[in-house]
Amino acid sequence: MKVLIVDDDADVRVFVSTVVEENNHTSIVAKNGEEALAKIKEEKPDLVILDVLMPKRSGIKLYRELKTDDSYKKIPIIMLSGIAKRTFLRSQEALTEFGEEGVPEPEAYLEKPVEPEELAETIKETMA
Amino acid sequence: MLKLLLIDDEEGIRKILAISLGKDGYLVSTAKDGKNGLEVFNREKHSIVLLDIKMPGMDGIEVLKHIKEIHPATEVIIITGHGDMDTAINALKHDASDFINKPIKDEALAIALKRAKERLSIRKKLKEYTEDLEHMVKIATEEVKRRAEFQNKLITISNDGIIATDGWGNIITYNQGAEIIFGHRRNKVIRKMNIADLYPEPIKEEFIQGLHQEIAIDHFLWREISIVSKDGESVPTRFSGSILFEKNEVIGSVGFFRDLREVKRLQQELIKSERLAATGQTVAGLAHYIKNILIGLRGGIYVTNIALAKNNTEKLKSGWSMIERNVNRITDLVLDLLSYSKERKPEFEDCYPNEIAEEVCALLEPKAKENHINIIRDFDDSIGKVSMDSQAIHRILLNLVSNAIDACIFDSSDKKIWAVQINTAREHNHMIRMDVSDNGFGMDEGVKKKLFTSFFSTKGGKGTGLGLLVTQKIIKENGGTISVDSTDGVGSTFTIRLPYRGME
Repeated sequence: MKVLIVDDDADVRVFVSTVVEENNHTSIVAKNGEEALAKIKEEKPDLVILDVLMPKRSGIKLYRELKTDDSYKKIPIIMLSGIAKRTFLRSQEALTEFGEEGVPEPEAYLEKPVEPEELAETIKETMA
Repeated sequence: MLKLLLIDDEEGIRKILAISLGKDGYLVSTAKDGKNGLEVFNREKHSIVLLDIKMPGMDGIEVLKHIKEIHPATEVIIITGHGDMDTAINALKHDASDFINKPIKDEALAIALKRAKERLSIRKKLKEYTEDLEHMVKIATEEVKRRAEFQNKLITISNDGIIATDGWGNIITYNQGAEIIFGHRRNKVIRKMNIADLYPEPIKEEFIQGLHQEIAIDHFLWREISIVSKDGESVPTRFSGSILFEKNEVIGSVGFFRDLREVKRLQQELIKSERLAATGQTVAGLAHYIKNILIGLRGGIYVTNIALAKNNTEKLKSGWSMIERNVNRITDLVLDLLSYSKERKPEFEDCYPNEIAEEVCALLEPKAKENHINIIRDFDDSIGKVSMDSQAIHRILLNLVSNAIDACIFDSSDKKIWAVQINTAREHNHMIRMDVSDNGFGMDEGVKKKLFTSFFSTKGGKGTGLGLLVTQKIIKENGGTISVDSTDGVGSTFTIRLPYRGME
């Protein structure tokens, strides 16, 4: 399985990709939303682990784009952020209220800091 | 009708003249001697008196004196015996208006009366003019008085302390506002004190020199000075003053003092409440920031453990550097918090500002390269070894250059070639100027306003909002300045100026 890790913090990328690889998956990384979109097109990952606050196309925007695009909406997404889950969901609701298309909740939501075991467990559940 | 009194002892003359003068339009009274004449005159106050000089009893000159005493404006025409010039001259000396000779000729009488009437008329006009003039002067005086009172009132009710002196510095005006600031009562100051007794040191000298024209100064611009009041309280005031001139001569001085105690108190309160509000924001921001550090540390430990288990040196390096980096981040955070909350005295030491700038550039170059940002150095070679707070320069530049790089990283434009430029320059009055410019996302007015006022960050969870606050604080402690010029979407330039001592 191929997992794309999107985070502007290099430490998070190294950490999460180590967890991913330890669980016998392949990891690819992107450091912002723009790079992530390119990698998704190129590499067709099976799972995206996505940060919320990032430069150049935030996680909020990228999440929306993926979930409203027929080619990508099936890719499961684990949100991994310092921002609380309800804050993230509230931001998506607000965009929907503004007239944009409604989006489903992410397949999983993890708040930083996350334990490696919890992350591994979530990856396993989401891919199942 | 003019009242005329005829005093003559000859009954015939009295009768004839009374009839003819009555016909000419005079209101005629007659008297047969001086005593009787004065009685009638006292009652009627005639305008013209025809007075026979030779009479039994009180003689004409006596009567004339009395009439002039009672009513000096009366026209007295003397009737004298023919050729009696001495008597006539004597009468004129006593203020008689004219004289005619006996026997009385109609023509001579008519001329004398005509002249008397003319004089009466002139005198009346003159009186009117004089009265008019007096009236005008009175009105003008009142107006002047009213204005003076008005101005006086303005000075009295002014909240500002106003103190005016004569050319020798003696205090002649000292209002309520001045009482409140200086603490001395008005009656103990006005015309009793000199500014030398009242004004504090720096302005005392200036005023005295100004009054003596030892210095060519006539105006003291607004500035803050501290007044020590009668009770020993130090009162902050905003002061300005002038030396007063009239036709190039010094005539006095005036000083204006605005009491700043209330303003200062409000400022203190405002700072306090802003601090409290900012603290709440900071805690939230900090929690987020610390979460990011924590995940770096946990991740580092995890990666290190995996590497140890697998004996993978490459991974070990990567895990260990994560731990190091995040320990550094938390150290920086603690240092930032400490330097924000504590006063720090600048530590001046010999250093080379250009070298510090180069260090900072080198430190941040890897991060810049990773994000395709060029770091451009433009250092002024004439800056050599100087005495400055080298730690402060390092912190300030590290902060500003990191921010500039972040501004490029966070910029969503896809057409720019990003660059961060660091300039150094030596300026006059012992200042080193440093500019940190970027062509990143820039700032709008709203962001610019918040920049230095609160724990405000545009970097989401990646910033604490402490950086610029600390930077600004360090610059202030070093007696320097910071300013920013930024255009939304185009980029920003931060300019700092720091004083230095000595240059080789």
